[in-house]
Amino acid sequence: MAITSFAIYRPTSLEDALKFLNEHGEEAKLLAGGTELIVLIRDKKIPTPKYLVDLNAIKKELTFIEKKEDGIHIGAATTLYEISQSFLHKDKRFAGFVDVFKLFGTMALRMEATIAGNIVSATQYNDYITLLLVYDAKLRIKSMDGERIVKLEDFLIDKRKVDLKPNELIYEVIIPEPPENSSSSFYKFDRRRLLIAGVVTGAAFLHLEDNKIADVRISFDMVREKRIPARAKKTEEFLRGKEFSEEIIVKAAEEVLPTEMERVTDWWTTAEYRMDMSKVVLKRNLLRAYKRIKG
Amino acid sequence: MEEKLVKVHLKVNGKEYELEVPPNERLLDTLRYRLGLTSVKEGCGRGECGTCIVLVNGVPRHSCLTLTATLDGSEITTLEGLAPEGKIHAIQLAFLETKGVQCGFCTSGFILMAKALLDRNPDPSMEEVKEWLSSILCRCGSYHYYFAAVKLAAKYIKEGKIYFDEEEVRKKYYMKVVGR
Repeated sequence: MAITSFAIYRPTSLEDALKFLNEHGEEAKLLAGGTELIVLIRDKKIPTPKYLVDLNAIKKELTFIEKKEDGIHIGAATTLYEISQSFLHKDKRFAGFVDVFKLFGTMALRMEATIAGNIVSATQYNDYITLLLVYDAKLRIKSMDGERIVKLEDFLIDKRKVDLKPNELIYEVIIPEPPENSSSSFYKFDRRRLLIAGVVTGAAFLHLEDNKIADVRISFDMVREKRIPARAKKTEEFLRGKEFSEEIIVKAAEEVLPTEMERVTDWWTTAEYRMDMSKVVLKRNLLRAYKRIKG
Repeated sequence: MEEKLVKVHLKVNGKEYELEVPPNERLLDTLRYRLGLTSVKEGCGRGECGTCIVLVNGVPRHSCLTLTATLDGSEITTLEGLAPEGKIHAIQLAFLETKGVQCGFCTSGFILMAKALLDRNPDPSMEEVKEWLSSILCRCGSYHYYFAAVKLAAKYIKEGKIYFDEEEVRKKYYMKVVGR
């Protein structure tokens, strides 16, 4: 099927890309892996942009995974496969990255899709956003006017709506380094395992001091109102500081989570089923993260 | 809008091409309709079925999601370019020998994905084979034959047998089919 036409701009450097965006940002879209944007243009879900800025031309500049003082820095155009080849997938504190990688699309898509491409797509069942939320990830955004750092949580305004001006570009994702004795877990439920959005997705990050929950962060594909991944903060608040036990997790899932969660019924499944599965996801995530910390 | 053609230099299956393509032309169309490489199949056209997978600089890519204009200077391998003239690759032979092919529409995607896997990991576990090959849909349901084929191909490559004489293979398998 033919795709409606546009012009392609291949920048020679990051500087050049920013300059182009400064002049033509309103009429331009950034092309990285293409697994989302090309499909959107093809299916006419978005108006065809006048320009596509091909970030593959400067992919080297935007591909890196580095450990720095303020955390782990992942370049915007780093593909999910490239992340899987890095130290992140060998460190148990980042175990959730292995879970999410194994449930994301297919192997071929993982080699094309990029981390920032995932974030700007800002869809509800976005596996990597759900996971990055529990790591308190931040984004460094660059433009000709300078740069700014924004929390991923604040970056997501609503479904397919993000805090990114036409002349801006995501440069990197920053994940604050998690402490020792911490780990994470990610689950997705649907009728099949691969190449599916998931009717419920969720992630959890757990930090233990002996057996006490020093810190916990929980996210789902939706918590309430906005159909976009978000943190379940009331449940986190309830768990923080308590001794870790199966009873406390059950209580959090059965009694606290439903007070802050709102689920919707749609073509795929009912709100009731989604609520039940969210409880299961929460319990399994916390237990798995706990087991990962303990050994 | 007036269309401006984009100049791209591509190396496809070892041959150099200087092309002028519209910016919205997909790699799939360039390969199939400009260069006549019909092993590249269009299935869903949106990156789900994997039948259009080709190798770009050794990395599998959905040619239906890739714009040719973004590939200047890239090296592309399709099924046609897997082995030199008159030879077939160990993976191709393994796919023949495990007799997995029914309609054959998805086979080129599977073989190229298997190539990408074996390039990175010459001795993959069954788990890894399944993970990589899950990138492609086969509606005849020949998956288990294909998994076995990749294991067999890995064995051939380990033994140093990478290319096989096409004529000999053709004779051997043609006789089998006729004599059945």
